[in-house]
Order: sequence, then structure tokens, then C-alpha cells
Amino acid sequence: MNSLLIPSGAVSASTREKQGESMKISATAPGEQPTILTLSKVGKSFGPLRVLKGIDLEVQRSEVVCLIGPSGSGKSTLLRSMAFLEEYDEGEIRIEGQLLGWQNTDKGRRRAPQSQINQVRRNIGMVFQQFNLWPHMTAIGNVCEALRRVRRLSADEANKRGMAMLEKVGLAHKANAYPAQLSGGQQQRVAIARALAMEPHIMLFDEPTSALDPELVGEVLQVMKTLAKEGMTMVVVTHEMGFAAQVADSVIFLDQGEVVARGTPQQIFHNAEQPRLQQFLQNYLDRNAFWQDSKPPTPNL
Amino acid sequence: MIFDPKIVTDHLGDIGSGFLVTLGTWSSGVVLGIALGMLIAVAQVFGNNFVRAPLRVFIELIRSTPFLVQLFLVYYGGPAFGLSLDPIPAGILGLGVYGSVYFAEIFRLGFESVARGQLEAADCLGISRLQCIWRIQVPQMLVIILPALINMITVLCKETAVLSIITIPELTMVLTGIGSETFAFVETLLMLCIGYLILVELCSRLGMLLESRVGRFMSRQPR
Amino acid sequence: MFDWPLLQQNAPLLLDALWVTLQVSIAALAIGFVIGIVVGSLRLSPVPLLRRLGGAYIFVFRGIPLLVQLLFIYYFLPRIGLPNVSPTMAAIIGLSLAAGAYIAEIMRGGFLAIPGGQLEAAGLLGLSTSQMLLRIRVPQAVRLTLPALVNEMILLIKASSLVSVVGLADLTRTAQNLAASDYMFIQDYLMLAGFYCLINVPLAYCGSLLERRLKEQTA
Repeated sequence: MNSLLIPSGAVSASTREKQGESMKISATAPGEQPTILTLSKVGKSFGPLRVLKGIDLEVQRSEVVCLIGPSGSGKSTLLRSMAFLEEYDEGEIRIEGQLLGWQNTDKGRRRAPQSQINQVRRNIGMVFQQFNLWPHMTAIGNVCEALRRVRRLSADEANKRGMAMLEKVGLAHKANAYPAQLSGGQQQRVAIARALAMEPHIMLFDEPTSALDPELVGEVLQVMKTLAKEGMTMVVVTHEMGFAAQVADSVIFLDQGEVVARGTPQQIFHNAEQPRLQQFLQNYLDRNAFWQDSKPPTPNL
Repeated sequence: MIFDPKIVTDHLGDIGSGFLVTLGTWSSGVVLGIALGMLIAVAQVFGNNFVRAPLRVFIELIRSTPFLVQLFLVYYGGPAFGLSLDPIPAGILGLGVYGSVYFAEIFRLGFESVARGQLEAADCLGISRLQCIWRIQVPQMLVIILPALINMITVLCKETAVLSIITIPELTMVLTGIGSETFAFVETLLMLCIGYLILVELCSRLGMLLESRVGRFMSRQPR
Repeated sequence: MFDWPLLQQNAPLLLDALWVTLQVSIAALAIGFVIGIVVGSLRLSPVPLLRRLGGAYIFVFRGIPLLVQLLFIYYFLPRIGLPNVSPTMAAIIGLSLAAGAYIAEIMRGGFLAIPGGQLEAAGLLGLSTSQMLLRIRVPQAVRLTLPALVNEMILLIKASSLVSVVGLADLTRTAQNLAASDYMFIQDYLMLAGFYCLINVPLAYCGSLLERRLKEQTA
């Protein structure tokens, strides 16, 4: 199963094109591990409820992984664990080889000091469902805040990089607007720029379009597609099956805290074998294909 | 019962100094109260139970007893603990301690009002706890708590009248003193009332002005 | 540091004084409640003049320190031909007037929280304005504002510590007198604080309990 996640000869044309570009942009040093994120047997419980049941996952450099699944399947918890926003209680998450969030001592493991967590987190960018922009700062202020306070760039330098990031998401003209003056789609693009400004090696997206009005979803997905093309490593929790089918290198279907299926978009969306996955896709079709013929939709897309 | 302005003009110097003492004790008490209150709130929000439990008791005790009683404890009881203060420092300390627990409660609610997701975003970007409090939580909560903050500041303004009981020569003490000297109670008391009304009103007007200013980023219209 | 025999000797005196404090506070709460309902509904009156009147009342009695209000009553009542008002009466008048202003604001909030449709329905059924106030608005507003009213009671008990300026021997005044004669300031004043806590801590607990219940009911 693991081999499905590694771009091999069987990858789609888009992936190959991406890899070519990624050589130019993220300039993978020779000898650097191709695996950027490794999860082994990650588990998490909220009280008696076990929401993650031993997840194994590898993400390669420049790979785009989409996590899909019904609500309550644990996909958001899994993604949040990858940024240690949730303390996973079993297994290991490693980012570029470094253990995230925990320290192994002779008396078992305990929470790593915040500085160490931040050190590992440096390489992660996170985008939230609710944007989580700071409403009292302008768009450019949001983007520059961490550059100034964490990377300690000068005001000029931070501003320059911040503007470049806003440019990238097409919002340079809104640099001085406050979040309340921006549409949901624009706010989410600012949030993406804010995360990108820190030059993460991997970007995590937690249902980035779920809080948006339908007509605003496109602009955010467009930005994400561009990022993917440029070779950014991305893990995306999403309900946008179209996006997953087009952009993902591999799709992972989670249900009840377990990985039920994983594979290329082709394998997941067109050749689903697992009954739970079939059911999930069927529900999705029923909800979204009302304008098609009234004939019952076929299990295969 | 006719208002005799001569009473006021004759004692203008005394009244002026009383006014200054009121202003001075009030503002010092507010500053002390806000500083202590912020400390208490931060300890409550971010501290562990060993810090929280005694603070809870302290807050409960201060909130359950009258300001006058606290003032007595500081001023008359202080010497037993080696804290012999002149009336004015004792008054300021009393005001500050009394105000601190109410300010702390206001700040605590303020901290809780900032959405958790914003702090997670800051966390992911590596922004430290302290920077997060100072750059993200405080500016936002100020907008939300400003009305309550201003209200508490005006409450402290009115409490300064109580300081006259421990012989601090502030406005109330000075004017009632003039009253009993000259038997012109109506003039002096009216003056006293009007004086406090002006102070309190000025304070809340200033607060409203501030509110419209700091809350600007909440509005949807571009400036 | 503590002198136990003296403590035992003083405690009953303070207990008596606590009774005085409670009487004055409860009376002030009751009268202040009536004032509060009147002024609070004035504030919401459709007649601009009445609204202003209510606003002015609140402005004056909330803006002036209670101590100054009490001094005013003490010196002013004899001037307008009421020389024989007892200290208890003077204290109750002073506290009630101030409490009325605060309760008016509380009641205004309570009145505003009642859905307007209810009053429209009552109006269509032919209830008069005063019937609506007493049968529909007040009962609901009281339920909604009960936690705030309990809090107001605590504030009143604390505020009553100032009534000694009109010559009433309340809890604080009695402790002051005791301390002045035995010089055990810490002991007497700590005991004084203890007596206030004895009443106010349970009251505060009740208040937060009521608040939680109200939240559950309205949620």
C-alpha cells in the first residue's frame, strides 16, 4: 500500500510536470530524504473515544495528499496532530526526521519544551477552516507579524516579503484592508500568504474552503493548485472531491479513525473496492448531482 | 437656601488642591489596579492550580467586603504587619487592590473572548506565548472590554470619596470641611455633586471616544 | 496576635450590628426595586420627556458617590423641614435612591430581553399598559435578571458600610467603635471582614448558581 504514496512510474502526467518544476524551486539537495513527513501508528483519544486508531502515513517531497472521509472520521484531528495542535498520544510523527511534540526519556515520553516544538514546526505551514486571521491587523500586518517577531526581519524586509506573498495570492491591492473588509475567499488567501511567508516545507490545509460561500471556493482552490504545481508539499483535508481528483497525487480515505483506502485519485474515485468508501462516494454523488438525469447514479463515477 | 458663590471663591485654593488629590489618588489607584489586575488575570488564565486556587480565594474575599473595610485594614491594620503608610499611599494601595480583582475579572473575560483558532494560528507560526498575549490578545480584548473597563474606572473615581474617611484631604473632605466651617452645606454639597458628575461624565465620554477609535478595524467599511 | 477572649466578647456585638446592616440593605433593595422598575420602564417609554427623566435619574444617582449622597441627605433633610428623620430612615432613603438607579439599568436590560411579539400579542388581547408591565414584563424581567439582582444585593450590603455618616451604628461603625476602644485594629477589622464574607460569599454562590441555571434554561 505504501508504494502508492511514492511517485513512481505510474504517476499522472501532472505529477511528473510538477516534479520537474520542483527541482527548480524547492531545490532538493542531493542526499536529502525524499520523505518529508512520516506518521507511524499515530493514535489519539478524547476520553474513552479513540478518534485515531494507529495511522501510518508517509508524505514525499512535492507530493499532494488529500484526506477525505465523512465528518467525525478523524481527518481534521489527524491533520491538527501533524502541527501538534492536538497532542497525539500514541505513535510518532516525524517531520524531516525530527520527532514532533514529544521527547523520549528513560521514564517514557513527555511533552517536548515549547522551543523544541516550535523548532520542528518551523517547517510547517497551517491553513485553517476558519482562516483565523487576526482581525486587528491589516492583511499585510497579518502576513508580516511572524516574519517580524519570530524570524526577526526588519520592517522593510518583512514588508517586502509580505507583499510578494500577497502578490502571489493575488491580493497585493488589499494589503491595507482589515480582515472584516475582505470576503471569505480573500481572507483565506491572506491566511495562505501568511503561512507561505514563513517558507514552510510542507503546507497543511484543514478544510480550507468549507467555511466559504460556494462562489468563493474557486479562487482559493486556484491558489492551492498553483502552489501544488510549483512543487509545494501539501496535505489537504477537503470535501472538494473535484480538487482531490485533479490535484492530488494520492488520496486517503479515513473512516472511524482508520485509513480505509489509499491510492491515486484514479484508484479511489473510479475503482473503489471498499464498501465504506463506495458508500461515502455514493452519498457525495447523491448530494451533488441533483441536476443530472434522474436515473440513479452509478457507484462508479 | 440661595446659592452664595462667595463660599466657593473664598476657598478656591483649598478646593483646587482637594480636586488635585482626588485626581491623583484616582489615577494612581487605577494604574495600580490595572497592573495588578492584569497580573492576576494572566496567572488565572495561564497558571496551574497552585496559582489559581489562592487567587480565587483572594478575589472572593476582596469582592465580598466593602472598600471601606479594606481601607481600614490597610491603614489601621497595616502597622501590625510593619506596613505603616501615610493616608495617601494607604488610600492608593487600597484603591489599587480593591480595583485589581474587578479589573482581573474583566481581563479574564477578555482573554477568553479571543477565538482559540487565532492563537493556534499564532502557535503554528512559532509566535511565543508572551508575544501572543501582547500582540494578539490584548489589542483585541481591549476593544471588547473597554466599556467594562471605563465603567470600573468611573467606579473607582466615586470610591475616592471614601478616602475622606481615612483623612485624605480630597474633594469630599475639603468641601464638607468648608461646609461645617461656614455652615454653607447646600453650596458645598451641590458643588461636590456637580464636581463628581463632571468627572464621571468626562471619563465615560473619553471612553466612548476611545471605543470608536480602537474598534475601527471591526468595521466593514474601508477607511 | 489574636486575643480570643476579646474576640468572643466582641463577636455578639458585631452580630447585632450585622442585623442592622441586613435590615437596612434588604429594605433598600425592596424600595430600590420599585424605583428601579419605574425608572427602568421610564427609560423605555415612547415619550421622549419620560425617557429623559429616567435617564437623568440614573445619571445623577449613579454618577454621585454614595458617600456624598448620604452626606447630602444628612445635611439636607433637616433644611427642608425634616429634622427628625431617624438615622435608619436616612440610611434607607440614601441606599434606596442609589440602588434604584442601578436596578433601573438592570431592569431595562431585562425588559429589552423580552421578545417584542409577546407585548404585541398582549396588546391585541386588550391588556392595558400597566397590566402588561405587572403581569407580563416584570415577572419575566425578574426571572432574567435574578442573578444581577442578587449581585445588586451584595453591592448594597457592601455600600451600607458607609451609612455611619448618617449616624447609624451598622456593622462597620460598630467595629470602628470597638477598635477605637481596644486598639486591636487587625483583629476587629478582620472579624468585620469575616462578617461581610459570611453573608456575601454564600450570596455570590447563589448568584452564580442562578446564573448557570438561567443559562441552561435559555440555551
